[in-house]
Amino acid sequence: MGQPLAGMRVVELGGTVAAAAATKRFSDFGGSVITAEPPGGGEVRRVPPFPEDRPHIDRGAFHLAFNTGKRSLVLDHRTPSGREVVGRLAEACELLILDLPPAEARAILALVDPEGGPCTVVITPHGMDGPYQDRRENDLSLFSWSTRAHRHSIQGREPLRYAPFLGMAQVGSTAAAVGIAALWGRRQDGRRRDAEISAVEAITGNVDTSFFLWAVNGAVQPRAAGQSRAMYPAGAWPCRDGHVLFAAGREPFFSRVCAAIGRPEIARDPRFADLSRKPEHFKDFAPVLREWLASPTKYEVFEHMQRYQAMTVPLLDASEVTADPQMVARGSYVEVEQPGVGAVTIAGAPFHLNGVGGEAWRARASPTLGEHGPEILGELGYSADEQIALFRAGVTG
Amino acid sequence: MSSEALSGLRVVELAEVWAGPFGCSLLGDLGAEVVKLESYPRTSTTRPLTVPDARVADGPGPVYERANTHHHGNRNKRNIAVDVRRPEGAEVLRRLVRWGDVLVESFSAGTIARLGFGWEAVHRLNPRLTMISLAGWGQEGPYQGYVMYGAGFEAMSGLASVRGYPGAPVEELIPTLHSDSTVPLALIFAVVTAAIRREQGGEGSYIDLAQVEELATQIPGVLGEWTLNGRVPPRRGNDDPHLVPHGCYRSGTEDGWVAIAAENDAQWGGLARAMGHAEWAADGHPWATLPGRLREREAVDRAVGEFARTGAPYEIADRVQAAGAIGAPANPPEGPLYSPQLHERGWFQSVDHPYVPSRLLGGFLWRLSPDEPSWDRRCGLLGEHNREVLREVGYDEGEIDALFEADVLGDRYPDPPGSGAG
Repeated sequence: MGQPLAGMRVVELGGTVAAAAATKRFSDFGGSVITAEPPGGGEVRRVPPFPEDRPHIDRGAFHLAFNTGKRSLVLDHRTPSGREVVGRLAEACELLILDLPPAEARAILALVDPEGGPCTVVITPHGMDGPYQDRRENDLSLFSWSTRAHRHSIQGREPLRYAPFLGMAQVGSTAAAVGIAALWGRRQDGRRRDAEISAVEAITGNVDTSFFLWAVNGAVQPRAAGQSRAMYPAGAWPCRDGHVLFAAGREPFFSRVCAAIGRPEIARDPRFADLSRKPEHFKDFAPVLREWLASPTKYEVFEHMQRYQAMTVPLLDASEVTADPQMVARGSYVEVEQPGVGAVTIAGAPFHLNGVGGEAWRARASPTLGEHGPEILGELGYSADEQIALFRAGVTG
Repeated sequence: MSSEALSGLRVVELAEVWAGPFGCSLLGDLGAEVVKLESYPRTSTTRPLTVPDARVADGPGPVYERANTHHHGNRNKRNIAVDVRRPEGAEVLRRLVRWGDVLVESFSAGTIARLGFGWEAVHRLNPRLTMISLAGWGQEGPYQGYVMYGAGFEAMSGLASVRGYPGAPVEELIPTLHSDSTVPLALIFAVVTAAIRREQGGEGSYIDLAQVEELATQIPGVLGEWTLNGRVPPRRGNDDPHLVPHGCYRSGTEDGWVAIAAENDAQWGGLARAMGHAEWAADGHPWATLPGRLREREAVDRAVGEFARTGAPYEIADRVQAAGAIGAPANPPEGPLYSPQLHERGWFQSVDHPYVPSRLLGGFLWRLSPDEPSWDRRCGLLGEHNREVLREVGYDEGEIDALFEADVLGDRYPDPPGSGAG
């Protein structure tokens, strides 16, 4: 039956990590995505890592992962000629996703026919109005705003982001979600829809912030280092060749861990079974578990604990994830042949429609900067001389 | 006006923590009609039964109706409480499967089939229904039936290997739940994609969403360090090897922190002015250039750190932003409430609940016009909509009474032993 989003036309403007992450969802499920990129290439092409640490506009890891299957047009949307091209792009698509400063975004939105034009999604740091509308933020500052950095800290030490650009990728997922919902709604009731995403609101409003936990009852969660000493075992524990992560502090998981290490009686011992007494007896429990963990490998601990349905996993680094048996069995990582780079391993489908490895999802190579300019401009009706004029003036590239 | 983008889409939720429930609330925000089928008489893991518990708000009524995330993460859906392990309860679920367009379940792989509601069974009951399974490692593969929460999927995706303080012992790794934030977003995309597929072929789809796989799509930089360069990326905290400054700095208030960054020379020029040292960005100064700032990282960081100590997080961020650089308060839990921006945009939401005090809660992830999302339904009380929903799927009052009588339907959990509650 082919890919589910075949025939769906999406245009992306901005060249950012968030916008690229958003439209990747559409292209990998069969949508036809054009990324209209700023001259010189945008953020998603400029962030590291690069092969052999040599910066190259077509070879960054984020570009290779997030621009799969798209067509690339270089376009300066800030000139009248560029805006004319955007206008034609907008006429020819169902969904327009922008990640631009508010003033630039407003100029683009003014080109959209309020009746017949595409649905739109605009991504900005703080939204299109209000006193902070022109502020710039980055991945770190968004995490800081959202309270997630604070949650990811130890009392008295600096709040931390998670991984570079993780917040931006989340904003992109948010844009993809509301974008496809808007488009679906329009297909049902004929009403064009405009979505606006403030990155701060999108991250702060999600389920994993400390604001979220605090807002209902005002309780402040302790910010202690890693391993829980109250509801244990939880957090990272060392074993023979690395670490495992437990989330087994509450029942029924605590009993299962005790059974798995051959000490079922511990779970019935009032020192541990009574949750009000459990914290003061961490010092009694920890040596028992540490001793048991000393000889098996992290995968042996994992397999053993899971036989008891005890929540435990191995802690894996980047060199280990693609070899994990489950990931191998499911084809969770895929190789994409990238001209100029070779076979590149990237994460595979975010979900599988009607069977793992089916035809619904497919990642194709990411485009070189401006690779499809003449093709796209031709489709938009520009003659050879008009294309040369745009190119010569630096509007396209 | 409430959102109608997904109006007409009927969703049945069988999910507890947190990707499934929050994803279904987001579907509700978009206008879908969501029924949460809650575990009964076994209690939901998101509903604590006794106090004191840091998750529970003060107030009258049952403890399990006052849990923080449960309240916040279950908006815009109706609630029924059914014992689906009993034949009469399974019949309720069968009728809901016939009624619905989407079934969301987040049991560990294989459990739903053992309950009699695997894909083949529900597809026979309602060929137009889409089913989405959210088990952490997915449905197929050797880890079928394994159990874990979000923190573990992070550990197995490689994300946890780069988080944390540089050089700190791995035992200090702070468990976080990033998949609970992003899987709900992928869930929406998956559900709508399946709805589009149904327009093409007439039948629902089965969606196998492995949380660990979804998480893997979010971190191309981590994987790329290994696959492109054969390096295992280290824990860097907030440091960026190519940007100085780029960090969270201690402010002038106790345990207050402010994020400050300059990503290019223009931002650095602004930041230097904000710090009262425009000359630090003047031609010839060693810090005026990107390579110069990288070379003198520690000295630059020290200078920015001293500046950050001269005010509260919001004040410092305001001064940095006014000068055109990046600055943000590293907000503690209550921090967002001080944002004039969030108030000006009317972001916060307040909702009446019989047992939870009315406070300002987080708002929506997006604006959508013409149909703005709204908090039309507060988190349902346990079994609050039992009668209403069962009537919709064809039960009469007598049959519903009989189901209550047989304890297949319920609207309160039994008091835990020793709680002393009446």
